[in-house]
Amino acid sequence: MSGASKSVQEKLTDLSELVGWFQGASFKLETALDKFKEAEALAEEIEKDLTKLKNDIKIVKKRFDSEV
Amino acid sequence: MDDVLLSVSDFVALTNQTLEYAFPIVQVQGEVTEFKIAQGKWVRFKIKDAGAVINCFMTMFQMRVLLEDGMKVIVTAQPKLDGRWGTFTLNVRAVKPVGEGSIKKGFELLKAKLEKEGLFAVERKRSLPRVPKRVAVITSTESAAYADFIKIINKRWGGLDIEVAHTQVQGVPAPDQMIRAIRYFNSLEVLPEVLVIIRGGGSAEDLSTFNDEPLVRAIAESRIPTLVGVGHEVDHTLADMISDVRAATPTDAAQILVPDRQEIIRGARAQASSIGYLLTQAIDNYSRQTKDNLNAAFSRIQEKLDGTFEQLGVLRVAVSQLNPENVLKRGYALLRGEQTVGAKLEIETATNIITTEVQDVRSK
Repeated sequence: MSGASKSVQEKLTDLSELVGWFQGASFKLETALDKFKEAEALAEEIEKDLTKLKNDIKIVKKRFDSEV
Repeated sequence: MDDVLLSVSDFVALTNQTLEYAFPIVQVQGEVTEFKIAQGKWVRFKIKDAGAVINCFMTMFQMRVLLEDGMKVIVTAQPKLDGRWGTFTLNVRAVKPVGEGSIKKGFELLKAKLEKEGLFAVERKRSLPRVPKRVAVITSTESAAYADFIKIINKRWGGLDIEVAHTQVQGVPAPDQMIRAIRYFNSLEVLPEVLVIIRGGGSAEDLSTFNDEPLVRAIAESRIPTLVGVGHEVDHTLADMISDVRAATPTDAAQILVPDRQEIIRGARAQASSIGYLLTQAIDNYSRQTKDNLNAAFSRIQEKLDGTFEQLGVLRVAVSQLNPENVLKRGYALLRGEQTVGAKLEIETATNIITTEVQDVRSK
């Protein structure tokens, strides 16, 4: 479910879906440990992504002090 | 010029020429009186002080705040002698209320007008994306408010593409500059997801820029959802009231715009932990269930065994009663050998084995 190309938002959604799986009817103990490991990895990825993300700020070159 | 004879028209033209040269633009402060709007287009009023009164004329298009008799205003105007009516008039280019009372009055009048049009209605308000990617900001990049806004945004979140339009945020040119910036962002091929307009605290007069009718309407018409944070918490402007989301301050705008990454990290960790807890709980449930099943199976086996042992006991008693040894103990003897005269017989009692010979055999 996790992947480097996914956005933080997508990873957060994946993590919530995993929580939902654990609380839902499709829960199976046989696969639960793998899902738990996946969730832990996702949480770590989210932390790493969020820590390193920087904002790109650009000042618009266009001037607004006249119509032209 | 005693000897120069002028026609009335020439005199008016000469006077206007002189006025244009001497006072191309004047700013005059006074109290509004006899305020009238003709045909929804032409605005006529007078401004006065204790010693004088003067006519003012302007178009509705130029009127950016609503006026009422008694309001104190500064008009920016061109003085002119009107040849048709023989009146001296200020051709007003801009008018702004001055003093707290008049600014408040102008604010209330425009607020009532916009409210009547339904522009403050809750149904018009659009929600902002929880985590926007593309953000447009209109502000003065030289202001402390902008510096604070960017500092908080950078601290709270990352990965945003922020485009900033630098405009004045107070003074006469400010509303038009901001309107142009709003139109610029709304004309982009790919629209930003949020349009933020911010300005730090200031006097009521400074902030009155954000009560400018065309600016307020431009915010209302923006295709991009708007987030406006002007002044301090106690300040209310029509610009922030008409926006989709009102922020109390520029700092508050930054906090509304993006979530706090530390909170998200804590949340993600908590979610992973909650999964761990759910897993442990599931394992516990399974263990308990398995243990219960095993206990039930053992109980069943035990019951079966108990029953069997009970049956065995009964059988053992029965068998024991049939045991020849027990019969011998009761005084009986066991006889082995052929029952013919002269044959040897073996007699077994509880304690002895006796050998004897048959002397006589009779039928009973």
